[in-house]
Amino acid sequence: MQSTPWVLALLGVVLAGPVPAVLARAGWLRRTPLSTMLLWQGVALAAVLSALGAGLSLATTHGWSTPSALALVVTAVVAVRLAIAGHRVGTSLRSLRRHHREQLDLVTRRRGRLAVLETEQPLAYCVPSLRTSRVVVSQGALDRLAPDELDAVLAHERAHLRARHDLVLEAFSVLHRAFPRWVSSASALREVRMLVEVLADRVAARDAGAQPLARALVGLAGAPSPSAGLAATGSASELADRIDLLGASPRPVQAVLVSLVAVGLVVLPTAFVVAPWLAGLT
Amino acid sequence: MAYGDLERAVLDVLWEADPESWLTVREVHAALTPARDVAYTTVMTVMERLARKQHIVQRKDGRAYLYRPRASRSEMVAELLNDTLDDFSTHDRQSALVAFVEDASPDDVAALRAALARLEGA
Repeated sequence: MQSTPWVLALLGVVLAGPVPAVLARAGWLRRTPLSTMLLWQGVALAAVLSALGAGLSLATTHGWSTPSALALVVTAVVAVRLAIAGHRVGTSLRSLRRHHREQLDLVTRRRGRLAVLETEQPLAYCVPSLRTSRVVVSQGALDRLAPDELDAVLAHERAHLRARHDLVLEAFSVLHRAFPRWVSSASALREVRMLVEVLADRVAARDAGAQPLARALVGLAGAPSPSAGLAATGSASELADRIDLLGASPRPVQAVLVSLVAVGLVVLPTAFVVAPWLAGLT
Repeated sequence: MAYGDLERAVLDVLWEADPESWLTVREVHAALTPARDVAYTTVMTVMERLARKQHIVQRKDGRAYLYRPRASRSEMVAELLNDTLDDFSTHDRQSALVAFVEDASPDDVAALRAALARLEGA
C-alpha cells in the first residue's frame, strides 16, 4: 500500500510528541495506575514500531529512490540509538547497583530482612537485584515512624521489588536517553515514575492500611533533611496527589477502557496498516 | 558463615578498635573467634580483599601487614548517601526508587497535612 509509510510516520510523530504530552497532564489517569502504565507502554511501543515501520515500508514500496534511502536512514538511526541507549543504561545501572549493594552490605546493620543505615536523614528505598534485593531504611526513618507506618513503608518498597518496577523505569529511561529531545520522553519517564509509586502505594495500603501509609509519607516528607539533593520521588504536590489517590474509589470502567486503548494502539496499526503492506509484498 | 557477613564482621572489629591504631590479621582473628568458628587464613583473605577494594588500608610493618579502616562507619554512610544516591538521582534517576525523601517547604508540608486530613476524614 502506497499510504503505509505516511500513515506510520504520522502515527509515530503523534505518538512520540503530542500524545505523551497530553497524557502526562491528564491527572485522572492516575486513578487507574495499572491500566495507565499499560497505556504508556502501548504508546511507547507503538511509537517505536511506527518509526521503524515507516522507513522500512517506504523503502519497500518506493523501491530504491532518494526518499526511501532517507527513510531507511531514519529507521536505522532510531534502531541504533535505541540499542546504544539500552546498552548504556543497562550496564551503568547494573554497575551502580552492584557498587551500592557492596557498600550497603558493609555499613548497614541488619534488622530482620531490613538493612538499617545509621543516619538521621529519614529515608527508605530499595535496591533491586536478581538474587538478593535490599530494602534499606535509615535510623532516622525508624525513629520517626510508628510500627504500623513502618510496615506500610516496607510494604511499599517490597511492592516495587516484587513487581519489578525497576524494569519499567529502565525501559522508559532508555527511551529518554535515546531521544532526549523532540520527543516527549521526559514527561513519559516522569509520569511512569509517578505511576509506579501509586501502584506500590496501592499494595501498601491494601496490606498495611491507607492511613498509616499516608501518615508515613507525610511524616517523612515533613522531617527536616540535613542534606539536600537526594533523589526524591517527585515534588510535594505529587506526594499530596498520592495521598489523595489513596482515598479515591476504584474506577473499573475507566481501567478497562484505558487498557483497551493501550492494546489497540499496538494492535490496530499492525492490523490495518502493516499487515496489508506485508501482504502486498508477497 | 557467608562471605559478606565476614567482611562486615572484620570491619566491625576494626571500627571498634581505636581509630588511630593498626591491627594485625592475628588480632582481628582473635577478636572474631570467640563468637564464630573461622580460620586464620580466611580472615587474612577477607582482609586482603577489603584492602584491595579500598574499604580498609593496608600497611607493611616488617614481615606483618597492618590494617585499619579507611573511614569511620558514619563517614562511610555519609559517603554512600552523597555519592551513590547522588549517582542514582542525577545520572540514572529512574533507578532510584527512593521513596519519601523530600525537601519540603513549610507550604508543601501544610499541603501534605491537608491531604492527610482529607484522607482521615473520608
